[in-house]
Amino acid sequence: MALTNTPRVHPGRSPKRWSPRTRRQLWTGLAFISLWICGFFLFNLYPMLASLYYSFTEYHIKQPLVWIGSLNYVNLVRDPLFWRSLYNTGYMVVIGVPLSLIVSFICALLLNIKIPGQSIYRVIYFLPSIVPVVASTLLWLWILNPNSGLLNTLLAEVGIRGPNWTRDPFWAKPSLILLGLWGVGNTIIIYLAGLQDIPQTLMEAAELDGASWWQRLWKITIPLVSPITLFNLIIGVIATFQYFAQAYVLSAGISPVGSGLGAPLNSTLFYSVYLYQQGFVYLKMGYASAQAWILFVIILICTVLLLRSSEHWTYYEGG
Amino acid sequence: MADWAVTPGRSTGHTLLAVRQVRRLLARLASHLMVMAVGLFFLVPFLWMLSTALKSDQDVFRVPPTWLPHDNLYVQVGDQQLPMYRVTIEGHTRQLALQSIAEGYGIFLDPANPAQTEKIRMRYAEPVLVVGLRWRNFVDAMNRATRPGLGVTFWTYVQNSLIVAIFSIIGTLVSCAPAAYGFARIRWPGRDLVFILVLATMMLPFQVTMIPLYIFFTTRLGWSNTFLPLIVPTFFGNAFDIFLLRQFFRTIPEELADAARVDGASEFRIFWNIMLPLSVPVLATITVFTFLWAWNDFQGPLIYLTDPRRFTMALGLQDFQQQHAVAWNQLMAAATIFTVPIVVLFFFAQRTFIQGVKLTGLKG
Repeated sequence: MALTNTPRVHPGRSPKRWSPRTRRQLWTGLAFISLWICGFFLFNLYPMLASLYYSFTEYHIKQPLVWIGSLNYVNLVRDPLFWRSLYNTGYMVVIGVPLSLIVSFICALLLNIKIPGQSIYRVIYFLPSIVPVVASTLLWLWILNPNSGLLNTLLAEVGIRGPNWTRDPFWAKPSLILLGLWGVGNTIIIYLAGLQDIPQTLMEAAELDGASWWQRLWKITIPLVSPITLFNLIIGVIATFQYFAQAYVLSAGISPVGSGLGAPLNSTLFYSVYLYQQGFVYLKMGYASAQAWILFVIILICTVLLLRSSEHWTYYEGG
Repeated sequence: MADWAVTPGRSTGHTLLAVRQVRRLLARLASHLMVMAVGLFFLVPFLWMLSTALKSDQDVFRVPPTWLPHDNLYVQVGDQQLPMYRVTIEGHTRQLALQSIAEGYGIFLDPANPAQTEKIRMRYAEPVLVVGLRWRNFVDAMNRATRPGLGVTFWTYVQNSLIVAIFSIIGTLVSCAPAAYGFARIRWPGRDLVFILVLATMMLPFQVTMIPLYIFFTTRLGWSNTFLPLIVPTFFGNAFDIFLLRQFFRTIPEELADAARVDGASEFRIFWNIMLPLSVPVLATITVFTFLWAWNDFQGPLIYLTDPRRFTMALGLQDFQQQHAVAWNQLMAAATIFTVPIVVLFFFAQRTFIQGVKLTGLKG
C-alpha cells in the first residue's frame, strides 16, 4: 500500500471533503493524543482562563467570589511589598543570573582542559545540581551559620570577619546566589557540550596565526557559544522569576515557626514567594491570581526582549 | 600569556624546545590546580554534610568546628553505657564516668570502683572526646518522631515520596508515549499546529495554573491531603516528555512500520509491538527525570499536603528543621538520606542525566 503523503484536499475546502483515509488518520491521531488533549483543557486552558477571571475578583475560597474589576491590579501597583518583591527578584535576575552564567562558562572551560581525572571532575562539578533543593538549602544554611558555620570559620582563618549571611538583610540575597552557584552543574554541561562542538581546526588555525589564548577566547569561543548563552539566559531568567523553594526554606530556617516569609526583613520576599503568601497564607486568591498574570506577562516580555536583543550578539554558523 | 618571545641567537633549537616544554608543563599544572580548587567548592559542602551527620550533639556546635567528628568516650559500667568526663577537683584531674545530672551537679563514678559516687559541679567537668563516627544519627533521624503524638517518623516521608514518584512515573509513561507517537508517526490534518500548542504550554508559568487547580482539587474534588493532585495530572501528558519521545520516534525507520501495515497491523499494534520495545532507552530517560522531578518537588506538596502523615521528604525535611532547630547532626543525616538515592541513580544513569540536561537545560 503506497502512502500518499499529501491528503487530496485543497486549502479552504471543508473538512467533509477529506478522503476516508485522511479522516481515518485524523481519528487515529486524535485517539493517540487524546489524553494530552484532555490534559490541555483540564490543566492548561481551564486554569489559565479561570486564573484570569479570578484576577478580577475578590475570592477567599470559603466565601463566594465578588467581581471587583481591575481593583486587584490597582492595589498591586499601590502595594509597596509587591514592588519590594519585584525589586528582590530583579536583583536576582540582574546579578544572580549573569554571575551564574559566567561561573558556569568558566567551569566548562576548566572541564574542557585535558587533564588526568577529567571525568571525575565532571562528576564532582555536576553532582550538586541534582541534590534536592530543600536538602541543598538546609546544607547551605548550616554552612553559612554565622557562628559555627564552615564558611565564617574558614574566613576567620584568613583574618576576615564573615558577615551574618542569611540573617543579614544585606547578605541574604548574596547567600542565595552563592547557594545557586553551587548548583550550576546543568548550565556547565550545556556549555561544555557547546565547547566540544567548536571545530578543533578553527582553534589550531588561529593558534598558527599567532592568536593568544585570550584572543581565541574572545574572538572564537565566546561568539561560537553565544546561542547557548542565549538559551541559558532565557531559561535562567524564567526560572528566577519563579524562584521559590530556596527562599521559602531559608526564611523558615531563620525565623520562628510559622512567621516571616521573606525573612530577614523582606529581603528574600521574591515575586513567587509573595504570590504564595497572598494566595496560600492569606487566602487572597484573586489578588494572587492578578500577580500570577502579571508574572506571565513579565516572563513573556523578558523572553521577547532577550530574543530581539540576541540578534545583535549571537552568532550562528552559516547564518 | 602564550606569546612568549624567546630571544634568538643565544638559544639553540634544543633549549627553545626545553623552554616550551617547561612552559607547557607549568600551564598544565596551573590549570589542573584551578580545576581542583573549583572542584573543592563543589565537593566540600558534601563532605561537610556527611561530617555533620556523623557528629555528636555537643560536637556540632564546637567553635571552631572540626572536620573529624568527635564523640564522647563511653565506658561500660555494669549494664550501662556512661560518658567519660575529665573532672578537676582541687587541682587534681581524674577521669570519671557521668551517671546523671541534676541542678548543675553531676553524679560521677570511677569505672574501676562503681560503688562510690561523687557529686561535682558540671562546670568543673569536661567530656573526654575521641574521634568517632556516630552512625546512630542516621537511625535516630529516621526513627525520630517529627511531630510529637502523631506517630510520624522520617520513614513515613520516605514512603510518601516513593508513592508519589512511582505513580508519577507510571502516569508520565502511560500518557506521553502514545501522544508522542501520535505526533511523530501519524499524519493527520492539523497535527503540526496542535504540536505548536504542546510546546506553547511550556511557556505557561506554574503560578498561573496553581491557584485555579488548587481551588478545583481541594474545594470541588476534596483532594486536599491526598497525593491525587500531585499524581493525577501526570497521567495527562506533559510537553517536555512528549517532545523528547517524539524526537526519538521520528528517528525510527518508516519501513519497519510499513512492513507491519502491509501485514494488516493496526497503528496501536505498531506502536505497542514495534515502537515501544525500540524506545526503551528513551523511556528509561523519562523515568529517571520524572523520578528526579517528583523527589525534588517542594511547592506542589507544600500547597496540597498539610497533614504531616502525608508529607513527602522535601516537606518533611523542612518541617523537621522548623520543629527541631538545633538537631543539625540529625538534620544533615536526614538530608543525606534524601540525597543518596539521587546520587546512586546518577551513577547508574550518568549518560541519561547528561543527555537529558543537554537536551533541555532542566531544573529551575
